[in-house]
Amino acid sequence: MNGFRKVCRWLHRELGFFAVGLTLVYAISGIAVNHVHHWDPSHASYVAGSRIEPPGDGETETVAPLVLERLALQEPVKETWRAGRDVLQVFVQDGTIDVNLVTGEVVRRGNEKRPLLYDVNFMHLNKGKAPWTGIADAYAAVLIVLAVTGIFLIKGRQGLVGRGGVLMLLGIVLPIVYAVLARRA
Amino acid sequence: MRRIVIALLLLAVAAAPAVAKEKVYGKGVAAREATPVSTVLAHPDQYVGKTLVVEGTVVGVCAHRGCWLSLASDVEGQTLRVKVEDGVIIFPKEIVGEKVRAEGVFKANRVEDTAKKCDATRDGEPEVQCTTVYELFASGAVCDWK
Repeated sequence: MNGFRKVCRWLHRELGFFAVGLTLVYAISGIAVNHVHHWDPSHASYVAGSRIEPPGDGETETVAPLVLERLALQEPVKETWRAGRDVLQVFVQDGTIDVNLVTGEVVRRGNEKRPLLYDVNFMHLNKGKAPWTGIADAYAAVLIVLAVTGIFLIKGRQGLVGRGGVLMLLGIVLPIVYAVLARRA
Repeated sequence: MRRIVIALLLLAVAAAPAVAKEKVYGKGVAAREATPVSTVLAHPDQYVGKTLVVEGTVVGVCAHRGCWLSLASDVEGQTLRVKVEDGVIIFPKEIVGEKVRAEGVFKANRVEDTAKKCDATRDGEPEVQCTTVYELFASGAVCDWK
C-alpha cells in the first residue's frame, strides 16, 4: 500500500503542477461564460462617432468609393451595403460603420476582443475544433488522474476513512441531488 | 525533462487552428443554386414551407447568442432573417460583412402588433393588427471568410 501511495503522490505532484495553467483557463472561462446572458464574455462593444464631407444620396456605385476615400480607413473593408437611401454601411473586421450620406454623420459600432478572456474562452469553448479537442481530452484525463490519486494521498483519520471520505462523499452527493431535482423540475 | 517540454510546446503549436476560408455551420448547404432574396421576398407566400438556399452578405447578427443573422438582398435596404436553432448553430459576431449561403425551410410568422393574440377574432373580440414576418429557418450555412 505504501508503494501505491508513493506512486499516487508522485503522479499527483507532477500532474498537479502541469495542470495549473489549463485549470485556470477553464475555471476563469467557466465563470465568464456562465454569465453569457448578462454580458459578452469574449468581446467588449463600443460606439464611436465622427463626420465626413457628405457625398450625397446618389447611386451606390458613385457614393461608395467616395465614402471609403473620405473615411480613409487603415484596415481592410469586407463589404459595403446600401442599407437605405441615406445610409451606406461599411463592414470592417471588428464592426460596422454607418454613414449618413446626406449629413455625413459617421457612427462606428464595433466589438473588441477582451484581453485574456477572448483567448481563454476560445480554448474553453473549443472554437479551434479538432486539434484542441485532443489537448482538452488529455487535460480531462489528467484531471481524472488528479482526482483519483488525490483520494489516496493521506492515510488515517484525515484520509479516505475519515474526514477526507466525508468531504468526498459530500462532493459526490451534491451534483447527484442537483441532477435529481433538476430532472423533476 | 527538456524533451518533454519541447514535445509539449510542439503539440500546442500543432493544435493552433488553421485559417479556414470556408466554414460550415450545422448541416451545411446542399450544392444547389441559390434563390435570390429579392425573388423570394417579391412573392413570399409562394415559398412558404419550401426548402430554399439563399445567399447574401450578412448585415446583422444576434448579439448575444448568434442564433440569427440578416442577409442583404440584391434590392437596396431589403433583408431576410435567417434563424437557426438556439445553441445548435452559433454565428460569431465577426460574420457581419461576410458572404453566407444558408439552407432551410422558408416560414411565415404572424406577429402581433398589439398585446392581443393574432387569432383574437375566434373569441369574438375585435380583430387586432398582425404583421407577417418571413424568415428562413436554416438547418445549415456556409461562410466564405475573407
